[in-house]
Formats: sequence, C-alpha cells, structure tokens
Amino acid sequence: MIEDITAIAAWAGLALFVGGAIWDLIAAIGMNRLPDFLSRLHAATIGVIGGAFYPLIGISLILLGTDIMGEYRYIAAGSAALTAFLILLLAPAGSHALARAARRRGLYRKDILVTDQQERGETE
Amino acid sequence: MSGVRKVASAVALLAIVAALSLGAAAGGMGPFFDGIRSLGAFYLSTAPPQIAELVLGPSYRGLSSYSPEVVTSIVWDYRGLDTYFETAVFFLAIIGAVAIYRGIEEPVLRRPASGLSPIVRAVTKFLIPINIAVAASIALHGHLTPGGGFQAGAALAVAPIIVIVVFSRRYLLERGVTKLKALFFRSAGLIGIALVVLIPVIWSVISGEWAWVMQNQWKPGAEAFSYPAYLGGALISGSIWFLNLFEFLAVSFGFTILFLLISIDEDTVRSCMIRGGEECDRY
Repeated sequence: MIEDITAIAAWAGLALFVGGAIWDLIAAIGMNRLPDFLSRLHAATIGVIGGAFYPLIGISLILLGTDIMGEYRYIAAGSAALTAFLILLLAPAGSHALARAARRRGLYRKDILVTDQQERGETE
Repeated sequence: MSGVRKVASAVALLAIVAALSLGAAAGGMGPFFDGIRSLGAFYLSTAPPQIAELVLGPSYRGLSSYSPEVVTSIVWDYRGLDTYFETAVFFLAIIGAVAIYRGIEEPVLRRPASGLSPIVRAVTKFLIPINIAVAASIALHGHLTPGGGFQAGAALAVAPIIVIVVFSRRYLLERGVTKLKALFFRSAGLIGIALVVLIPVIWSVISGEWAWVMQNQWKPGAEAFSYPAYLGGALISGSIWFLNLFEFLAVSFGFTILFLLISIDEDTVRSCMIRGGEECDRY
C-alpha cells in the first residue's frame, strides 16, 4: 500500500518534471514570437510557473517517492517545496508590477488589446 | 551588419570557443589532478575540530580553526588578514559614496509616496521577515554551513532596496532606517571586527605571553591565548562566529546606506552638486 503511494508520487513528480521542460520550451517560443510586452509577459510567467514551480514540486515528489539521497532527501524535498512556494508568491507579484508599469506608460500595442479591465475604474 | 559579416563573426566566435575547449580538454589549464591536493587535504583535515583531533592527533588541535565549514574557516582564520583588508576596501567604498553625497541626505519629500499596487505591497510585507530570518541564519550559522558574514549582509541588504522600490524611501525613513543609524550600526560592526582582531594583541601586551594578530585557537608557539571554541555547549568556532556577526552588521548596513543614497532624486543631487550652498543647506 505505502509502496504504491510512493511509486505514484515518484511517477507524478517525474511527469511534472518532464512537463516543466515542455512548458519552458513553449515559454521560450512565446517570448520570441509574441507581438508586444503584455503577451510576452504572459509567456514569461508560463515559463516561471510551468517551468520552475511545477518541476520543483516534481523534484519534491520524486525525492519523497524514492529512496535516493537517504535521509537527506527530506531536507532536499522540503527545500524544493519551499522554493516552489516562494516562486508561486513572487512571480505573480513581479509580473503584476511589470504589467502595471507597462500599462501606465502605454508600452503595449493598443490595436491587439482584447480588453482593459482597468479602463472603467481608474482606482489602482 | 551584412550577412557575410554576421556569418564571419559567428564562425569566429565558434572557433574561439572550440579552440578554448580543446585547449582546456588537452590540459592547457594545467594537468588534471584526480583527488585532493595536499593543501586542500590539509584544510579539510584541520578545519573540522573532530577530524583534527581524532585523525591527526591532539598535537594538530592547534592548527584547527574549530569550524566544520572549511570555506568560512579559510576566509576568517587561515587567510583572515586578507578578509580583514577586503572589509577595509568595502568600508572605503561606502565612505566614498557618503562623501560624494555629503550635505544632501534626507531630503524632505513634498508628498507621501504611495508605492506600488496593494498586491505587490502585501507580498513584500510577507517576504521581508523571511528575508531577515534567512540572512540572520546565514550569518549566525556561517561557521557551520556555507555562508558567512558578507553573504548574509548582502542577503539582508535585499530588504531595504525592495522596500525602497515597492513602498518608498520615505517609508523606510519613517520606520527609523535612516542614514545616520545605518552609519552607526555599520561603524559598530567595523569596530567589532577590529576589536576581535586586536584582542589577542591587547591580551598579549597585558599578560606578557605571546599571541598573534587575528589568532583564533591556540597556535604552536602561541599556546597561551585561545578564543573559546564552545559557548554554553554550542560550537561557535572561537573568533569566527563574532567576525561573521560583525561583518554581517557592517555589510548589511553599508549596503543600506548606499541604497538610501542612490534612491535620492537625481535632479536634487545634481542641483546640489552643481550649485551647492543654500540649495543644499535646506536639507
């Protein structure tokens, strides 16, 4: 029973890890191909959340699901999970600040803008 | 740049990279050494106290710095004077910045700055305590784990620059982080370092026994003086813990001074520097 759970955790972690590489590739293509700052920022955040947050969770799961590294795997798994949590907090805040600054200075293409939620109420 | 030139420069770059890697692989950076060199083996076997005493024998205790973290013991014990003068260089850099900005500190802001949006501010408020805790642990565990005073100071200095960017300079000043206080704590750190370095000499003058500048544990030829390796049962590695703590103070507040100074409005600084006199006396 417990072996099944650890094996599932390890395989899920591996899937997240491989998925992270695919997200990173998509983000890199988006950074190159997308037309303006805001859409490129979208690609960048895909790279951060998909290419850094998920792989770190994956590393944590792999370490918990296998017995590589012996006792140290708990420390490494905890560090990876904590780093993932911090990235989850920091990346949206940073991209939000960038997007806000870009919108204030008009550094985006208005002709391809779909919607502007801040247009109605100019509060924050 | 034309196509031919682009291709030519790319080929040249690739050729340089290939030549360098080939040279390195063929042993151009010195012969490859499989294993630990004798100097490294000496550091590794003498820095941790248990190994020095158990493996090499009690007579090697005098060569140990009583720090299991070999890098920190090299930085603050084996080549301690080098680090001492590195700190002096950093001290001079800060003094230079303070001298350039003399007379234009603490300008009165006309209106309170609101800072970035509530989302960024909330995340920052959550992260600043984490930052301070991590920096303190890097400094106070510097003799046990990788890190040390300078790294911890640089880590803590992230806090003021983030607060300046996300909130405002005024936010920091209103919470008591002023240039004068930062200068005080930085000077306290530097005086602490100088004291830790010179205490063996002062002790030597008083007691008449032999002791070296910046001595940590007793050394062959200067057996009488030794900083305590343990304090209340906890390993503090003699002077290394104190040096890390004071370097942490000096570096973090040194960076804080720099960030406070470079966040002053550029026009204010320029008009002060060019015109001087009454323009700057206001501040």
